[in-house]
Amino acid sequence: MADYDEEASRLTIKLVYYGPAMSGKTTNLMRLHDLLNPQLKGEIMTLETQNDRTLFFDLLPLGFRTPSGLLVKFKLFTVPGQVAHDATRKAVLSRADGAVFVADSQRSQGLNNSEAFQNLADNVGRVGLDFDTLPLVIQFNKRDLLDIYSEDELRERWAKMPWPLLFAVALTGDGVQETLRALMAQVYPVLDRQYGLQARHGMGREEFAAAIVGA
Amino acid sequence: MQLRNDHFDRDFTLTELLAGMSRERLARSLDTLLGPDFRLLTARSEVLLGTVEPLSVACRCELRLDIEPLGFLEAPVTMQPQAQACASLIELTMKSAARYLMASHLHENNVNENYKNLLLQHEALLKSELQYKQLSEELESRVQAQVKIIKQAERQLYQAEKMASVGQLAAGVAHEINNPIGFIRSNLGTAKAYVQNFSQLAPLIKSGAVDQLAAVWNEGDMDFVLEDFSSLLNESISGADRVARIVADLKGFSNIDHTEEEVISISDCITSVCNVAASRIPAGVHLVMQLEQTPPLRCRPGHLNQVFLNLLLNALQAVGEQGEIRIRTESITGVILVHVIDTGIGITEENMLRIFDPFFTTHDVGHGTGLGLTVCRDIVQAHGGSIVVESKKNEGSHFTVYLPLDRNT
Ligand SMILES: Nc1nc2c(ncn2[C@@H]2O[C@H](COP(=O)(O)OP(=O)(O)OP(=O)(O)O)[C@@H](O)[C@H]2O)c(=O)[nH]1
Ligand SMILES: Nc1ncnc2c1ncn2[C@@H]1O[C@H](COP(=O)(O)OP(=O)(O)O)[C@@H](O)[C@H]1O
Ligand SMILES: [Mg+2]
Ligand SMILES: [Mg+2]
Repeated sequence: MADYDEEASRLTIKLVYYGPAMSGKTTNLMRLHDLLNPQLKGEIMTLETQNDRTLFFDLLPLGFRTPSGLLVKFKLFTVPGQVAHDATRKAVLSRADGAVFVADSQRSQGLNNSEAFQNLADNVGRVGLDFDTLPLVIQFNKRDLLDIYSEDELRERWAKMPWPLLFAVALTGDGVQETLRALMAQVYPVLDRQYGLQARHGMGREEFAAAIVGA
Repeated sequence: MQLRNDHFDRDFTLTELLAGMSRERLARSLDTLLGPDFRLLTARSEVLLGTVEPLSVACRCELRLDIEPLGFLEAPVTMQPQAQACASLIELTMKSAARYLMASHLHENNVNENYKNLLLQHEALLKSELQYKQLSEELESRVQAQVKIIKQAERQLYQAEKMASVGQLAAGVAHEINNPIGFIRSNLGTAKAYVQNFSQLAPLIKSGAVDQLAAVWNEGDMDFVLEDFSSLLNESISGADRVARIVADLKGFSNIDHTEEEVISISDCITSVCNVAASRIPAGVHLVMQLEQTPPLRCRPGHLNQVFLNLLLNALQAVGEQGEIRIRTESITGVILVHVIDTGIGITEENMLRIFDPFFTTHDVGHGTGLGLTVCRDIVQAHGGSIVVESKKNEGSHFTVYLPLDRNT
């Protein structure tokens, strides 16, 4: 449910990094801030943390102007992963145009992952979005650690799911851009249908992703 | 606009971000730093502060939040570095205002959500409270219905127990009655033959043939017949008396539920109970009766007979084929005591606590319902009395029934 302000000629798109506590959502955002070079890039706004745990959210604004003069503004949010902050998670998730589910690859975190994923599915419904159509990609983070589920295992387990599966080491930035690119690919058709990105603003699928993540 | 205000992460305007501070103070500061010729403009070029007229030769600094200019600061070209620094300061305040707005909005959102959840929980609690109330009412009535059914069943069993102990007697009583009836019947047969003997003498007596009569008398050993006839009749009379007595004793057990109060002697009651039960006493068991002349007692004899019979039957079960049962009555001031003492198997300490409980029995199915002593206690209590037990395993038991002469004391 992107925000289109005709007068200001601005399209605001909201992408949310969701997942269990400590899975690396904030780290994803920090690496994106370091790695990306779009036309427009803001500072990360971190609203309250406690021992590195997100209490409200982190926000990274990114953007570019289309040839037509439209300001396409991305707001990348993280939610607090800790179970207790469910109300905040819902508020941050509401009106999202797409989401990355950041899972922790460690075997010890299997249960936390599935609980958080269920929580995502529940909250998507609660904030009035449709889980079946919401653009979503799954990132398995912390691939650098030792006791983790193997890629084969995970691919097999998620094979029947419709969402793209990505692997990352957010700490070093590996896979972080690919994850965002995969999400952009999911988000594009929805926005194009609604706002005529191609027809009215000359933004094709490739250019759209490249404008943020690079070629 | 209203709708967009609902979201903590909406895009803010410069006006919104500066709403929390004094415009006048900001204007004075800018005046001091930049001189009187400056303009603070929104993204749509509305003047917020400074001169209304456009400046002739001006520089223009963007006021950005995130990636987007939300307004502009204009100043004379000569003041460009200062204007740049001022814009930078204003951006800092914008940023902190945005943080504050987002955080407070989110916080309010969470508080509302918590409140809503609390209301929902409260509602759910009220609902479940109601359900529990209904459930407990329903349970109450179900329990009452069950209790009624159980009470009824218990009463039937209780009734059955009363009948059972009496029923146990029936066989013995039949034997007791059959015995005298048997010999009375055979005596009457003999008597009939004797009468025939005498009737043969009748024509001789009528004709006055005295010699012939004497001969026939001797021949028929009529002296013996006469003597035997008389003893037959005496024996039959005492047999009939015995039957009458047994029937009288049995009367004490008839109509047990409707007996009227009567004034009677407890010792007599016990005698009749023992008579009725006599046939059930095995040869190896001594029944010792030590009955005092007890003062008359107002009571329901049918019920008390029931008590003594139950105690006696229990004692008989306890002694088996060999032993002694002593039944003693005594009267102390105002109270009659009945002791039933046996040398039977006794009662363990553990069972002692439960023998009066309904349905407690150590006997096999068919040999006891466990209601005997319950019935006893109920009856004795209805007479204002009590039952006390002393017992030692393998040595015997001593049941004492206390019956007050005046129930009100
Ligand atoms: N080894 C390893 N550690 C990582 C990786 N990504 C993140 N971490 C670490 O995991 C911890 C949590 O990372 P965050 O990004 O704060 O996690 P979060 O998902 O934002 O957590 P919450 O804000 O509590 O929901 C930090 O110590 C990170 O350094 C990774 O790829 N590998
Ligand atoms: N005279 C006794 N000697 C030993 N045990 C007795 C005696 N009278 C009663 N009891 C014990 O008390 C129990 C309960 O007695 P009662 O209520 O008459 O039920 P029941 O005779 O049907 O078992 C008996 O099963 C028996 O264990
Ligand atoms: Mg975080
Ligand atoms: Mg009994």
